[in-house]
Amino acid sequence: MNPIRDLWQSISRRDPLSTDKGKSELVFLNVWLHIHPNKVRPEGLKVKHTWYLGFITFFLFLVLVTTGIALMFYYRPYPQPAYQDMKDLQFVVFMGGFLRNMHRWAAHGMVICVFLHMCRVFYTGSYKRPRQFNWVIGVVLLLLTLGLSFTGYLLPWDQLAFWAITVGTNIGSYAPLVGARVRELLLGGHMVGEEALIRFYVLHVAVLPSLLVLLTMVHFWRIRKDGGLSRPVWKLKPQKAANLVHIGEPEPEPALAAVAAAPDKTYGLMEVVTGRPIFETVAPEEDEETVFSYPYAFFREGIALVVTVVTVMAVSLFWNAPLEEMANPAKTPNPAKAPWYFLGLQELVSHSALFGGVIVPALVVLALVGIPYLDSNPSRRPADRKWAIWIFTVFVIVNIVLIIVGTFFRGPGWSFVPPWVHVTAGAE
Amino acid sequence: MKRRSFLSWGAAGFGSLCAGVGVSLAAVLRFLTPSVFYEPPQSFKIGDPADFPYGPPTFLADEKIYIFRDREKGFAAASAVCTHLGCTVKFFQTDHHFHCPCHGSIYASDGKVLHGPAPKPLQWFEITLTRDGQLRVNKDRPVAAGYRLMVKA
Ligand code: HEM
Ligand code: FES
Repeated sequence: MNPIRDLWQSISRRDPLSTDKGKSELVFLNVWLHIHPNKVRPEGLKVKHTWYLGFITFFLFLVLVTTGIALMFYYRPYPQPAYQDMKDLQFVVFMGGFLRNMHRWAAHGMVICVFLHMCRVFYTGSYKRPRQFNWVIGVVLLLLTLGLSFTGYLLPWDQLAFWAITVGTNIGSYAPLVGARVRELLLGGHMVGEEALIRFYVLHVAVLPSLLVLLTMVHFWRIRKDGGLSRPVWKLKPQKAANLVHIGEPEPEPALAAVAAAPDKTYGLMEVVTGRPIFETVAPEEDEETVFSYPYAFFREGIALVVTVVTVMAVSLFWNAPLEEMANPAKTPNPAKAPWYFLGLQELVSHSALFGGVIVPALVVLALVGIPYLDSNPSRRPADRKWAIWIFTVFVIVNIVLIIVGTFFRGPGWSFVPPWVHVTAGAE
Repeated sequence: MKRRSFLSWGAAGFGSLCAGVGVSLAAVLRFLTPSVFYEPPQSFKIGDPADFPYGPPTFLADEKIYIFRDREKGFAAASAVCTHLGCTVKFFQTDHHFHCPCHGSIYASDGKVLHGPAPKPLQWFEITLTRDGQLRVNKDRPVAAGYRLMVKA
């Protein structure tokens, strides 16, 4: 009788990790780890394929949940107390300022990383069949991330918060027919006041995070069901020359119409159901080499987790999250700016609210969702998709330029002021 | 049970289910829509006519209005809420224009848009004299830009 061993075996029933069976069981007997396959293709672990950006986004979300729950112990969602609590967190509560910094910087980081992750998925063509729908889920995750930032922005109840949300929700009211009503629903009134604060709070701490968790689970599940991570582009073989047209040569045979399952799909439901499958499954290629998720994948993900957390902590030690004066509905700060990732939007809105605030964003979201369905080119090799890459790159650059202009080149009254010119704020 | 009656019962059942879900969704939406707005009243007294100087308009911060007083023409109340996205505009003595700090809209002193993304002129509100001799502004009663209230001194 060995009570320690008995206790351990009541918790974990796997074989020792020195055996292959143990390595597999570590994964598939564990509710958290079994989102991974037992074995993965080693090239999918390469940093230069995924940049681990999806993981980093997820880890930042974990940091946000943890620090967010901590902040909730001290935060009262009511205008004046809310602002006082921010001051308290900053100056009175032990580690309060640090936790608030972590929450703020991780939120910025998550917006950046989710965008970069989307870019990497685009540039590696990983949204193509069979991953179209996971891309769509990704777009919803992106919107939820932005929604979380937007609702969180109001909670400190300072000038920045108040005016960013006043402007932001007014943009919404330009939407035809439903606009004014949507704003009323969101604010629980006609101006940003205590009703708006409690609504934003509930959205920020309950509704949106739950949706994000749910959809992230679907996102991860789909990665496995879509056959694991896409194959890195450098592993893709060039397309058969048969598809090229040679001048002066006879017409080649038309290519087969049927689209085979993605070559990286490795398993399917077997011998349980009758009938023909709609989707084909393919066996792993003969020479395919796989490694155990433990330790190879877990180790790399662990590193990504540690790097993420340590970076957020380090940044939070040195830079404080901003907190301006308490919200004052009578006095608009000059210039009044939205959070940086919405400054591109604000730049567009400064030309026309309906066009820049409603039509363009709606079209962008539609276009993003439509990408996997509009892009009919089956090849994932960059050489075969120059146009797609060009268009997307222009989209990314326009985004960045608009944000830079909004952030650095706009002074009082939204006038064009280069960053090297010093302006004394708001002439009275 | 006959096939026909099974189908019609099924359809009725499914129909009721859909109706139930629809009604519940509508109820949720209605639940989220406030029944009462605990917001400041839209019609309020702003004080004695004599309190307001001639010359540059007086800004009332809580109400977000500008009160103009002119020797010949009398009183007028202009909204200080930018018609673009709701920032508070500021009247500048130097050029007699309203400037919006958010996206740079500029309005003339009669509320007309001179510059920027604002789609509409600033709103003017009805201003009246109450029985006890005070000025009252009613934001629920928009008026044309030329509206003036003459008060005999
Ligand atoms: C909260 C936001 C998100 C989280 C936490 C997340 C997480 C992840 C993770 C952990 C992976 C595994 C590989 C990697 O690290 O790149 C992944 C893959 C993927 N993500 Fe996301 N993601 C998010 C948002 C998005 C967005 C905005 C898109 C696109 C619009 C997207 C589309 C995809 C696709 C298509 C894959 C499969 C890529 C492949 O097989 O190579 N995700 N995601
Ligand atoms: S809110 Fe006044 S210009 Fe945009």
